[in-house]
Amino acid sequence: MSSKSLTLRNISKRFGNVNALDNFNLEVGVGELVALLGPSGCGKTTALRVVAGLEHQDAGTVLVADKNISDVPAHKRNMGMVFQAYSLFPNLTVEENVAFGLQMRKVSKHLRLKKAHELLDLVGLDSQSKRFTHQLSGGQQQRVALARALAFEPEILLLDEPLSALDAQVRVNLREEIRRLQLSLGTTTLFVTHDQEEAMAISDRVGVMNNGVLEQIDTPDVLYNKPASSFVAGFVGTMNRIPAHISDGMVEIFGSKVVALKRGNETGKVHALIRPESISVAATTAQGNAKVLTRSFMGASSNIICQTEDGTIVQSLMTSASTGDLLPGSSVQLRVLSSEVLVANV
Amino acid sequence: MAKTLRVRFQPPLVLTLLILGFFVFIPMISAFEYSIRTPLTGGYGWTHYIWAIREDDFFHYILRSMWLAGVTVTITLFVLVPTLTWLHLSRSEVRGLIDGLSLLPLVIPVVAFAVGAQISFPEFVQNTVLELPFLYFVLALPYAYRSLDIGLNSIPLKTITEAARSAGANWWRTITAVIVPVIRGSVMATIALTFALSLGEYTLTVLLHWDTFPTWVTFVAQDNILGAIAISMMSLIIPFLILTVITLFVPERSMQGRK
Ligand SMILES: Nc1ncnc2c1ncn2[C@@H]1O[C@H](COP(=O)(O)OP(=O)(O)OP(=O)(O)O)[C@@H](O)[C@H]1O
Ligand SMILES: [Mg+2]
Repeated sequence: MSSKSLTLRNISKRFGNVNALDNFNLEVGVGELVALLGPSGCGKTTALRVVAGLEHQDAGTVLVADKNISDVPAHKRNMGMVFQAYSLFPNLTVEENVAFGLQMRKVSKHLRLKKAHELLDLVGLDSQSKRFTHQLSGGQQQRVALARALAFEPEILLLDEPLSALDAQVRVNLREEIRRLQLSLGTTTLFVTHDQEEAMAISDRVGVMNNGVLEQIDTPDVLYNKPASSFVAGFVGTMNRIPAHISDGMVEIFGSKVVALKRGNETGKVHALIRPESISVAATTAQGNAKVLTRSFMGASSNIICQTEDGTIVQSLMTSASTGDLLPGSSVQLRVLSSEVLVANV
Repeated sequence: MAKTLRVRFQPPLVLTLLILGFFVFIPMISAFEYSIRTPLTGGYGWTHYIWAIREDDFFHYILRSMWLAGVTVTITLFVLVPTLTWLHLSRSEVRGLIDGLSLLPLVIPVVAFAVGAQISFPEFVQNTVLELPFLYFVLALPYAYRSLDIGLNSIPLKTITEAARSAGANWWRTITAVIVPVIRGSVMATIALTFALSLGEYTLTVLLHWDTFPTWVTFVAQDNILGAIAISMMSLIIPFLILTVITLFVPERSMQGRK
């Protein structure tokens, strides 16, 4: 296996007065798939381009298997890259596109076409190998781009929002396919996206970026359940922010006291951060603490949006079976299901 | 529906064809007709063409002009393709300036240009006929530059370049194996324009006291106007044939899908 580990150490990169990367650190293990997630302009693409050698960092080092490659030019880095925009060579056929990297490595025509067909077979496009790229759909083009990036057995695979130009169904299929291929080939992969669902679905670990720094990098599970900062909490998944009072390490929400994780202020007003699935809504004949605004049916689960007496909008996710009597306008009792909640300063 | 639209009478197209026909085809056909007249017998024949080919200097000068044109084309491609690629990729402000500069040869009179060259170039440059291709390059620059510029503007240059580089192509291979084939149409147009312009260049060549095919034709025309026309007709056809052969040898690649 040609895969190697990747380390970015104290990388800084400025464009004019924009700090695209600010003392950025990241480690990706051998065969691991790490997604970089973050809002537009936070520096994801810049990080990827620095790794690829298409951009040179102002400070810091890029290491592949502990070897400093900061001064190695892009074409010698042996990294496969898939771009957001369609980047296939329009003058070449599908198989020639896939074989391009091997051609540059002076592999004989016979061998490189054999390898190209292997890869095209893996992405399910072997039957299209003689066609030109403009004859393919968007999804097929990105498959070819993926095959092209993998054909020369890169040490690292870099994907810059490869799915963002595709429609929803294709996007889901192709991301599963990328993961399947990546696992079977064992290629160390850095995957940039601003779609958190996509990142969570296929990554070993997800790094959340904000303003050129890595806020948190963890498995999707930890990131979702134990976000390290209020920014991460808000960015990954849906999060209710409910005004509450804190004292002695306990917050009071909906009339009951819950242990506060990650204390901000020790006393006074805070925001409790609670996932929709940790809030239950129950119909009540008595005076409840909220009113139902809308209920949207999504199959197995339903999304209930309520408004509390003080005007706060609260979102709850429950199994559809238990939401039959939650009609819009009805009075309900909200309850926190978890025994601990994250709090953030107001 | 679309078909009827296309066939319908289109005044601008008709006007273009009329002007082209009047100022290009009619003179050319007339010249050809004139060149195959045989005044002695009153009929038509290839006498003047045979005379021209029998002239010792015919092949000497046409070959010389063609290789000078070939060198000009080579210089043009070697200088312009990397430069323009760089200008397009770097998005630097220099580009506007160079765009403007590339038009200068259109506004500077050739005479001024020739005299200037004669005054300023060192002896050893003026002693070699190779000064001509460099000067022709400058004369053809406005056309060659624009033609390549259009080609590079019509493709996603940055992404394609970066895809090639990350797949392992160094700059040279990126240009030769990717960029040039992708803008093949523009490159062909550049070659044709530069070649034709170099082959027909007269003023500058005469002012610098060099003999090439056009100056030789003018010289011959003084004695045998019909022969000179025959030569000119051939000089029109030979490069055309050569360019056609070149085009045939470069593999045709489907490019229609590009938007
Ligand atoms: N070549 C450049 N010149 C000037 N500024 C740049 C350049 N490339 C990036 N930037 C700036 O650096 C910052 C980070 O850009 P980057 O492309 O890395 O963001 P991103 O996280 O990939 O965003 P997106 O999700 O929109 O693709 C942005 O503010 C951007 O404007
Ligand atoms: Mg980006």
